[in-house]
Amino acid sequence: MAGTEEKTVKKVSTKPEIEESFLNEIREEVIARIQELLIKDEKIPEDIKEKVVQEINEKLPEIVAKRVEGVKEEIIKESINLAVTSRKELLALYRKKEKEKEKEEMFQRFNIHFRIQHMILFTSVIFLILTGLPLKFPGFSPVAFLVDVFGGIDNTRIIHRIAASLLVLFMIYHTLYTIFHHEGRRDFWLLLPRIKDIKDVIQNLKYFFGMTDEKPKFGRFSYVEKFDYWAVYWGCVIMIGSGILMWFEELSLKILPKFILDAAKEAHSDEALLATLAIVIWHFYNVHFNPDKFPGSLTWFHGKITKEEMIEHHLLEYEEIMRKRKQVTEERLNNNG
Amino acid sequence: MKFTHFLLLILILLMPSGLNATISIQKCMICHGKPGFKKVEESGKMKELYVNFSVLENSVHKKKVCTDCHADVVEIPHRHTPEKVKCIRCHYKGNPEGAPQSDKYLEYQKSVHGRESEKGNPKAPVCQECHGNHDIRHTKDALSRVSKLNVPKTCGRCHMDIYAQYVKSIHGKSLLVEHKQDAPSCTDCHGEHNILAPEESESTVNPVNVVKTCAHCHESVDIVGKYGIETTQVSLYEHSFHGIAVKYGSKKVANCASCHGTHNILPPEDPDSPVNINNIPKTCGKPECHPGANKNYAKGKIHVNPKSRESGVIYWTGLFFKYLTILTMMALVIHILLDLNRRSKEWREQKKKP
Repeated sequence: MAGTEEKTVKKVSTKPEIEESFLNEIREEVIARIQELLIKDEKIPEDIKEKVVQEINEKLPEIVAKRVEGVKEEIIKESINLAVTSRKELLALYRKKEKEKEKEEMFQRFNIHFRIQHMILFTSVIFLILTGLPLKFPGFSPVAFLVDVFGGIDNTRIIHRIAASLLVLFMIYHTLYTIFHHEGRRDFWLLLPRIKDIKDVIQNLKYFFGMTDEKPKFGRFSYVEKFDYWAVYWGCVIMIGSGILMWFEELSLKILPKFILDAAKEAHSDEALLATLAIVIWHFYNVHFNPDKFPGSLTWFHGKITKEEMIEHHLLEYEEIMRKRKQVTEERLNNNG
Repeated sequence: MKFTHFLLLILILLMPSGLNATISIQKCMICHGKPGFKKVEESGKMKELYVNFSVLENSVHKKKVCTDCHADVVEIPHRHTPEKVKCIRCHYKGNPEGAPQSDKYLEYQKSVHGRESEKGNPKAPVCQECHGNHDIRHTKDALSRVSKLNVPKTCGRCHMDIYAQYVKSIHGKSLLVEHKQDAPSCTDCHGEHNILAPEESESTVNPVNVVKTCAHCHESVDIVGKYGIETTQVSLYEHSFHGIAVKYGSKKVANCASCHGTHNILPPEDPDSPVNINNIPKTCGKPECHPGANKNYAKGKIHVNPKSRESGVIYWTGLFFKYLTILTMMALVIHILLDLNRRSKEWREQKKKP
C-alpha cells in the first residue's frame, strides 16, 4: 500500500501544473498592489512602471510554480506520514479481527450419528444405574428409596429392561455405523490402540511430574478417549451378555447350569459398579469438573470444539486438517492458473 | 353390755370381707370331689364335673380357692351353671392379686383367636383351651400344656392335619423325638398370644416377615450353629434376587417357605424334601415361578456365596472384577489428581508473572 502511494507522489512532482484561474487570481492581486505602490512614487517614469509590471507578470508563473511545488511536497509528505501511522493501526486491528475469527472457528468433531448414539447411551445408562443400584445395595437408604421413586420393585425391573433395550439399540446402531459409515470406519480405525498411546501415557506422566514441559501431542483420539471408548465396549459386552442371560433366565437355564447364571449375575453386578464409578469419577471429571470444561462441555450436543481446544487436545489432527486445507487451496490455485 | 355389742360390731366389720364371701374348697368338694360327678348337657354330651383337688393343688393356682375364679358362685348349691371363668379378672398389668404382670390378655384380644372368640365363634379358643383349667402349670413346667414339648399337641387338638405334618418334619422330630429344646414348636414361628393369620401383613409367617422369623434361629450360631446347620443361608438369601425383591415388598418371589415348605420342612438330604437335589426342578418349576425348570436349576448351590472359594467360577468372577475395579479406579483417580496437581502448579506460575 505504501509503495503505490509513493509512486503517485513522484508522478505528481514531475509534472507541476498550476490552474489558470489560481494564477490569474494571484496575478491580479500582485499587479494591483504593485501599481498602488508605483503610483505613490512620482519620480519613476511611466514606461519603466509598465516594464516592472510586465517583468513581474512574466516571472509570476515561475515563482508560483516553485512555491506550489514546495507546498505540494510538504502536503504529500505529511499525508504519507499520516498514512503510515494509520496503516499500522489498521493493520493491527485487522490482524486482531482475523485472529478472533480464527479463534472462533469451530471444528466439527462428532457427527450427528455419533451424537445420537451418545445420547441414547447416556439416557439408557442413567436409568440402568438408577434402577440397578437399589438392587446392588438393598440396605443402603440413599439408593434404596429409588425403588419407591420408580413405583415399586416390579416397575423398577420393567424400567431397567426398557433402558437395557435402549442400550442394545445403541450397540446395534453403533455397530452398523462402524461398518457402513465412512466416518465410523475411520474413527474405529483411529480408535484402535497403538504404541504411540503408551508413549503418550509416559510423556503425560513426565509432564505431570514436571520432568518435561512438553505435553504429549494427540491425534483425533487421545489415549484417554480411547480408554473411554473401549471401556464402554467392554462394559456393553459384559452387561448386555450377562443381562440377556438373566432376562431370559428360564430359556438360558435350559442350556446352562445355574452356577453359570450366578457367575453372570456376579459379573453384571460388579461390572455395573465399575462402570458407575468410572462414569461418575472419571468421565464426569473429564467433561464436567475439569477446570477447562466446568460446568460442562456442550460438545455432546453440537459436536463441535473450538480451534483452541483443537490445538490443545488434538494438535496432530489439527495439523493434519490444516495441511489438507492448504493442499486443497493450492490445488485450486493451480487449477485456476 | 353395750360395750361388748360395740366390740362385736367392730370385729365383724374388721373381718376380711373375702372370708365372708368365699366358700371354702371343702364345701365345693362335697359334690365336685366325688369321682364320677357329671351331668348330661342339652346336646346329650356327658360333662365331667368331678374336680381332682390334687390337680389344683399342683397348679400355679394352688393358693386360690374355687370362688376366686368361679366368682359368680355365691351360694351352695349354686342354682345356675357357673359362667366360663374369665382370666382377665386377675391377669392384667397392675393386678394386685399376685398374678404375673403382663398384657398378654390384650395381645390375645388382637390375635386371630381373640378376634374370632369376640365374634362368637364357638370353635375359637379362649385361655383355658390352651392353658387348661384346674391343671394350669408354669410354662417351664414340663407337665404344663404349653410347655415347649406339649405345645404341638395342645395346638394339634384343633389343628390336627398340621400337627400330623409337623410331627413328621425335621422340626417336629427334633423336638418331639430327640427332645432338642432348640427345635421350634408351633409358637416359636407363629407367636403365642399374638398369633395372626398368615395372610395378615403383621403375621410372623406372612411372606414379608417369614424370613425374619426363620432367621431368628437359622442365622444364630448359638441356636442352629451348634448342630452343624449353616447359619449363612439367610443372609445369602437376603443378597439374592429373591431376598432383595422381598425386601422391596414383592410378594411374588420365593421366600424361605416357598421352597422349603412350612410345617413339613425336611432337611435337603431327605428324598422327600422339596429342596432335595432331585426335587429342585419340580420345586423351582411351580407354575407361578419358573415353569419348565429342569435339572440345570440344581447345578450349583442355591444359597451361593460369591465370596467363598467353594463357589468356583462365581468366586473367580467376583475376584477378577474386584481387582479390575480397584486397579482401574486407582489408576483413574491418580491420573485425575496428577492432572489437577500440574494445573495448579501452572496457575501459581502464571500468577507470579505480571
